[in-house]
Amino acid sequence: MAWQIQCTASPPLLPSFPPFTLKSTSSISLPLPLPPTRSSRFRSTHAPSPRPIAASFSAVESTTSTDGLGNSKTPLLEVKGLTAVIAETKQEILKGVDLVVHHGEIHAIMGKNGSGKSTFSKVLVGHPDYEVTGGDVVFKGENLLDMEPEERSLAGLFMSFQSPVEIPGVNNIDFLHMAYNARRKKLGEPELGPLEFYAYIYPKLDLVNMKTDFLNRNVNEGFSGGERKRNEILQLAVLGADLAILDEIDSGLDVDALRDVAKAVNGLLTPTNSVLMITHYRRLLEVIKPTFIHIMENGRIIKTGDSSLAEVLEEKGYTAISAA
Amino acid sequence: MAALTFIHQNLLHSTPKLTTSKPNLKPKRTKTKLSIQTIRESPQASFTDQFVLQLADSLEDSLPSSSSSLPLQKLRDNSSETLLSTQWPSRKDESFRFTDTSFIKNSDINPISHPPNSLDLLEVSRDTQFESFNFVDGFLVDSSFSSSKLPDGVYVGSLSQLSSEGILKRVCELLGDFEWGDLFWSVNGLGAPDLMVVYVPEGCRVENPIYLKYIAVEGADRGSKKMPLSNPRVFVLVEKGGEVGIVEEFVDEISHIKMDKLPIFVVKQMLKEKTSTYELVEVSTGGKLSRHNVHVQQLGSDTVTELTTFHLSVGDQTQDLHSRIVLDHPRGYSQQLHKCIVAHSSGQAVFDGNVKVNRYAQQTDAGQLTRSLLLEPRATVNVKPNLQIIADDVKCSHGAAISDLEDSQLFYFQARGIDLETAREALVFSFGAEVIDKLPYSFVQKQVKDHVKALLKSRRKGSS
Repeated sequence: MAWQIQCTASPPLLPSFPPFTLKSTSSISLPLPLPPTRSSRFRSTHAPSPRPIAASFSAVESTTSTDGLGNSKTPLLEVKGLTAVIAETKQEILKGVDLVVHHGEIHAIMGKNGSGKSTFSKVLVGHPDYEVTGGDVVFKGENLLDMEPEERSLAGLFMSFQSPVEIPGVNNIDFLHMAYNARRKKLGEPELGPLEFYAYIYPKLDLVNMKTDFLNRNVNEGFSGGERKRNEILQLAVLGADLAILDEIDSGLDVDALRDVAKAVNGLLTPTNSVLMITHYRRLLEVIKPTFIHIMENGRIIKTGDSSLAEVLEEKGYTAISAA
Repeated sequence: MAALTFIHQNLLHSTPKLTTSKPNLKPKRTKTKLSIQTIRESPQASFTDQFVLQLADSLEDSLPSSSSSLPLQKLRDNSSETLLSTQWPSRKDESFRFTDTSFIKNSDINPISHPPNSLDLLEVSRDTQFESFNFVDGFLVDSSFSSSKLPDGVYVGSLSQLSSEGILKRVCELLGDFEWGDLFWSVNGLGAPDLMVVYVPEGCRVENPIYLKYIAVEGADRGSKKMPLSNPRVFVLVEKGGEVGIVEEFVDEISHIKMDKLPIFVVKQMLKEKTSTYELVEVSTGGKLSRHNVHVQQLGSDTVTELTTFHLSVGDQTQDLHSRIVLDHPRGYSQQLHKCIVAHSSGQAVFDGNVKVNRYAQQTDAGQLTRSLLLEPRATVNVKPNLQIIADDVKCSHGAAISDLEDSQLFYFQARGIDLETAREALVFSFGAEVIDKLPYSFVQKQVKDHVKALLKSRRKGSS
C-alpha cells in the first residue's frame, strides 16, 4: 500500500514483490505507526524528517528484516566523515561527507557547481585523480577504500560517467563483452562466447532505444551527448549493479532522451538495488522519484530531506537552504 | 634476408612510384631487415668507401658467372657503378641520423650464393596456406601458382622465364631508372640473383591479390659475427588503367623451427584510371633493424595517395620508416598515418615523413599524422614529420603525438570491472588495430591481428 503511494510514477517497481512479502511476513500492519523504529534502523546521520514517504520506506525495511534477508542490519553503503583532495594539487574538495544508503532506496544529491557532488561519486569508484585523506566507506560490509576500482565494480558498484571518454579502436560490443565476462568470472560462471553474448545483449538495446549498429561503433567515439548517456545506461543494464551512481545523467539530454534514460533506469530498479543520482535539475527527480534528497555544499552534505526539498530549491535557490 | 621491391607504374597522367629495398642480414633469433631507398647522395660521397667496395666484391663473387638476361645485367651494372661512389651511411647523414647501421658494418656480411636445399623448401612451403610466390633467402622458388588464373596479358614470375618480347622491352626501359636509391638499394641491385616481374597491361584489373612471401632460412648463431645477406628484387609495372593488389610478407624461418616468426607485411594496392590511386598499408613488427623507404612521386593531376603504417618494437629492435611524397600537379590528395608502439626499454622507432607540395600542386589536400606509444621507460621514438609547401592554395595538416596510454581510458575499463593488465592490452592492441583494419584482405587482417596479439602477449609474459 505504502509502495503504491510512493511509486506511482514508476510502474516497473510494482511487480507483486512488496505485497507478497508483506503477506508472507506478518499480519499486515499499517506502515504509518512505524516511524519510531525507523530512526534507529536507518542509523542515518542525516535522518530524514518523518514524512509519509520515509515512513513508507520503513515498511519495506520491516519486511526485509523479517523475511530473513538481513538487509536491514547492514546498509548497502555507509560513508562516514569522508575527506578527499585532488591528487595533483592537494586541494581539499570533500570535507567530511556522511551518507547511508540502504537496499532499495533512491537517493539524489543536489548542490551548486563546485560543491563536490561529482568528486564524491568519483571518489566512491576510486578515480585516480582524487586521494582519500580520511573517513570510512563501507559497501556491502566491506571496506570500499581498500579495493581497486575494478574490484569495486565487480562488487556491485557502478558509476555512469558525466562525460564518458572516447576509446578509439575498441568496439562497443567487445568492450561490453570484456566487462561482462569479467563479472561472470568473478561470480565463478563460465564466460560467454561472442554469439551467446550477442543473444544476451540484443534485447537490452531496446531498453535504451538504440539501434544495433551502436554496438559496432568504437566506445563513445563520435557519440552525441545523448548517445553517450544511453551507452552508460546500456552498460548498467548489461552489468547490473547493487548501487548505481548516476552522475548528471540528465545533462545535455533533450526531453525525449531524458524520458528514455529514465525509463531504462526505472526498468532496472528492483526492491534490493539502489540508486544515487547527482543532478542539478528537478525534472530528473520527476521521472526517477528519489526517496531522499541531499544538499551538498562546500564538501559536506548539509541537509537531507524528501522530494519536497527539490521544490524548495526550485523556488528559493540554494541560499535559502544553506541559510536555514 | 634482403628483399627489395621496386614498384613502378607507368602512366601518362600520374605515376606513383614506390621502392623498397630490404637487404636483411640475420643472426640467429635476431634478424636484420633493411629496406632503404630515397636518399640523396651526400656531396662528399665522391670517393670510394673501402668497406663498400669489399662488399661489392663479395656480392659479385656470390653471383653465378653464367650470362644473365639483359635487364638484369643492366641493373647490376648500374648498381655497381653507384656503389663505387657511395659511402656506408653514418649518423652524420641526415637520413640515418637516428638509425644505427654500424653493427652491420662490424659483422661479417655473407651474401647467400645459392638457394637452400630441397628439404628446407619442403618445410617452408608446408607452412604456406595461401598460394604465394616464395622467395627463399632471396631466390624465387617454384610456386604452385597457376598463371591460368590471371587475366590475359598479365605476367607474374621470374624474369628468366619471361617470353614476351614486349614486356621485356618495357622492363628494360624502366628498370634501374630511379634517382632516389641509396646504398642498400644498390647493394640489392648488384646482388639480386633474379628479378621478379609483375606486369599488368593497360586497362586490366587483377582480381586476386598477388602474394609474395620472403622467407629467410639461413641464419647465424646469436653472438656470431656472421650475417647472411639475401637480395630478392621485385619489379612491378602497372600500365594505364590497370589495377593490382600485392601482399608482401617477410618471414623468418630458422633451422626448420619457427623460433621467431618475424613478418613484415607490406600491402600495396593500386588503382589506375585516368587519375591514379596508390594505397600502402604496412605493419612491421620484426627484425633487429627494419627500415622502409617509400617514395611517391606525382606525375599528373588528381592523384590519390594513402600511406598507413604501423610499427611495433617489442624487443631490442629499431623500426624505421622514411617516406617522401612529392606533389607537382594540381588537385592531389594524400593522407598519411603512421603509428608506432615501442614496448622495450632498448627499442626504438624512427619516422621521417616528408610531404612536398610544389608550386604547381595547387588545391592539394595533404595530411600527415604520426602517433607513438611508449610503454617502457627509456623506450625511444624519433619522429620528424614535415611538410614543405610552396603552392599557396592548398589544404595541409600535420601532427605528432607521443604518449603512454591515457589514464582516463584505462580508468574507464577499470570502472567496468576490467583489470588493468587486460585494459592495457586491449588499448595497446586497439592502437594498432586502426592500421590493421585498413589492410584490404580479411585473411591478411586476421593473420596480422593474431600475430600482433601474440607478440604483445609474449611481451607481457616476459615482463611478469
